[in-house]
Amino acid sequence: MCSACGFPAAPGHWTEAGAPTAHDRLRAKFRRAEVLQNVLPAYGLKVFEGGAIPGIQLSTMTGAQAIVRDLDEVWAMAEKVSGGPVDPLDPRFIGEE
Amino acid sequence: MTGAPEGRVRLTVLGGYLGSGKTTWLRHQLHEGRFKGAHVIVNEAAETPVDDALLGQSSKLTVLSGGCVCCTAKAELVALLRQLCDEKSSGKALDQIVLETSGLADPGPIVEAIKTDPVLVYHIVVSDIVVVVDALHALAQLKSEPLGRKQIETADRLIVTKIDEAGEGALKTLLATLQLLNPGARISGAAKGVEQPLPDFAGVAPEVLPDLSGEAPKAPITPTRLYIDDTIDWTAFTVWLSALLHARGGDIVRVKGVVRTPAGRLLLQTVRKVVQSPEILPEQGDTREDNMIVVIGRGYTSGQLKRSLKYFAGR
Repeated sequence: MCSACGFPAAPGHWTEAGAPTAHDRLRAKFRRAEVLQNVLPAYGLKVFEGGAIPGIQLSTMTGAQAIVRDLDEVWAMAEKVSGGPVDPLDPRFIGEE
Repeated sequence: MTGAPEGRVRLTVLGGYLGSGKTTWLRHQLHEGRFKGAHVIVNEAAETPVDDALLGQSSKLTVLSGGCVCCTAKAELVALLRQLCDEKSSGKALDQIVLETSGLADPGPIVEAIKTDPVLVYHIVVSDIVVVVDALHALAQLKSEPLGRKQIETADRLIVTKIDEAGEGALKTLLATLQLLNPGARISGAAKGVEQPLPDFAGVAPEVLPDLSGEAPKAPITPTRLYIDDTIDWTAFTVWLSALLHARGGDIVRVKGVVRTPAGRLLLQTVRKVVQSPEILPEQGDTREDNMIVVIGRGYTSGQLKRSLKYFAGR
């Protein structure tokens, strides 16, 4: 376990493949936050990415905060907060009402 | 066949319902010299193993008996695979592993066990799921057994066995039904393990299978090809796919394809909600199908997938 951040050393999440260098990884983290910020506010969550800590920082509209390890935990958290899963095929994402 | 490019050992999962002819097929493949250098693991749900006696051809063979590796004996399987990886790390040659599951196993949880194990995920990649289907009994089993359908839905390759004993009409109906259940799988025929040509079954009506889930009738599974164009980057794609599998993993049976990323060509494959850690492929080889992802499942249209992906990517 990392004594600074408390995360145990686990194999990388599959979504973190595809970024071979440290630069690519940082760029991917910022891009991931940008994509999430496009989706999560509809489910009552905001994303913050300063590039400094591992994990993904989430906050609710009431100010509660959490740091989660990977995207699977993001979706689980969003489901908990909003009462239903983030469904990419929801009419709001595919432009069908 | 040799090990995966980045050094992970390839694992072939051989599944199929009880008595469908898994061991017969595997024995013939070993006799023909396929799966060269493979360590064969045979799982039997019963306490008394018999299959190992039939598989004398293989030089390296381990039998796991007394439980099914997808549920009760999962820990034993993980321990055995870790031991094989340990031996490989200390210099013992190991190119590939063939796991013959018991007839009661669902390949999905086996892939999940390997993917979630912190040691095995670095050492083993499930390269192929082969499911053997009995030409004589499969239609009857599919009508009554949800497990038989699960096995077929997760397969990369379907081997229809005993086709020399089956009537041509019934065989064609079975082939059409298999194609409906898993349109993404390659289907081939075999008799006593020897490959046999299949009859042409174009236009044959598939068998109507009763609903066994107790839920509302589900739409048939269909394959959808999804092209990842230049406007969709890998990060946006992974955010989208992870959300899709979280929300709809029960309906999306398989996702497979090669995606170009800054790290090179990545082979992506999922079995229901489980995603294997992507394998980096060499640059050579057939690259024409790069960035074409096949999504096999139900409950959506190709247009909906495309629009949703574009929304996530912000394009």
